[in-house]
Amino acid sequence: MSSPEQGDSDDLRARLAALSASLRKREAERREDGAGTSPVEGSFGRAMSVGLTVFSEFAAAIIVGAAIGWQGDIWFGTAPLLLIVFLLLGAAAGFWNVYRVAAPKEPPSDAP
Amino acid sequence: MNPTEQFELTRLAPIHLFGVDASFTNAAAFMLLAALGVVALMMLATAPRALVPGRGQALAEALYEFVASTVRSTAGAEGMRFFPFVFTLFAFLLIANLIGLVPYTFSVTSQIVVTFAFAAFVISTVVLYGFWRHGFRFLKLFLPSGVPAPVLLILAPIEIISFLSRPVSLSVRLFANMLAGHITLQVFGGFVLVLTGGGIWAILAPIPLFATVAMFALELLVACLQAFVFAVLTCVYLNDAIHPGH
Repeated sequence: MSSPEQGDSDDLRARLAALSASLRKREAERREDGAGTSPVEGSFGRAMSVGLTVFSEFAAAIIVGAAIGWQGDIWFGTAPLLLIVFLLLGAAAGFWNVYRVAAPKEPPSDAP
Repeated sequence: MNPTEQFELTRLAPIHLFGVDASFTNAAAFMLLAALGVVALMMLATAPRALVPGRGQALAEALYEFVASTVRSTAGAEGMRFFPFVFTLFAFLLIANLIGLVPYTFSVTSQIVVTFAFAAFVISTVVLYGFWRHGFRFLKLFLPSGVPAPVLLILAPIEIISFLSRPVSLSVRLFANMLAGHITLQVFGGFVLVLTGGGIWAILAPIPLFATVAMFALELLVACLQAFVFAVLTCVYLNDAIHPGH
């Protein structure tokens, strides 16, 4: 024979399970619409703007890496060692930027 | 017919201060116009302070609510202290982009100097606020947590370059979108002229004309979207300054 407390906690557990299931479904639906989660979208305007975003993120990192290497070579007289190293690091940073554009966004920690 | 002619600077009032060319150009004139447009929208439209807003006041209020919710959702509650900054930036860029779409005007945001000045200002704000708020803990931004030390040796320079590339990509994105859009419109408009003057080919002239109309609608979307993207990324970067190290 179950006590009233145990009945309550079973009830609570069932309700919690139902709640988390419906939350998961919501989240899945939100991902389905792709509301700001994925840059792969239909219309031409969006596509062009996403393309230019990815281009600018990728190119900017390489340009910055090359500029650092170039200036470092001038300062330390190590041409072309630093240029090569920082160009490669810049390319890696470019891929990292593009990954961050494409990865799903997470909300800030203290968002209300 | 030259599609890049629209981006040329002309000196409206030549001014030379201490050997520096500080002339009042058409770019300066249209920046002033955009700033006045923002002020007019915000002050004149909300002047009646009606409880039931009229058309202008509803627009101003919708703009305010929109930017406020964007800042709150991307930079958190603490990000709201930057709300005036982000709102000013967004409103100015939006009005400047929209003014640039009117024929015979000058598009301020298609000049990389202008967009880079804005981006550099945003990033300096992020760096200064980050150090002021967190001191040297702000540098944790470049050290992702839970990564072994040897990997950090490679990852930290990549993160630093990635951070330094932000002002470049922020400015290049806005500049490239506006530049590409305006050149496309001009080229399609040029097709209409060429075809109309080409004898029998004139029957084809309406095709690029309709394409221009469609492109213009697209450009209207891009103008609003890019101002919004600039504001959102500003918030994302400010969020890094407020909460570094994750």
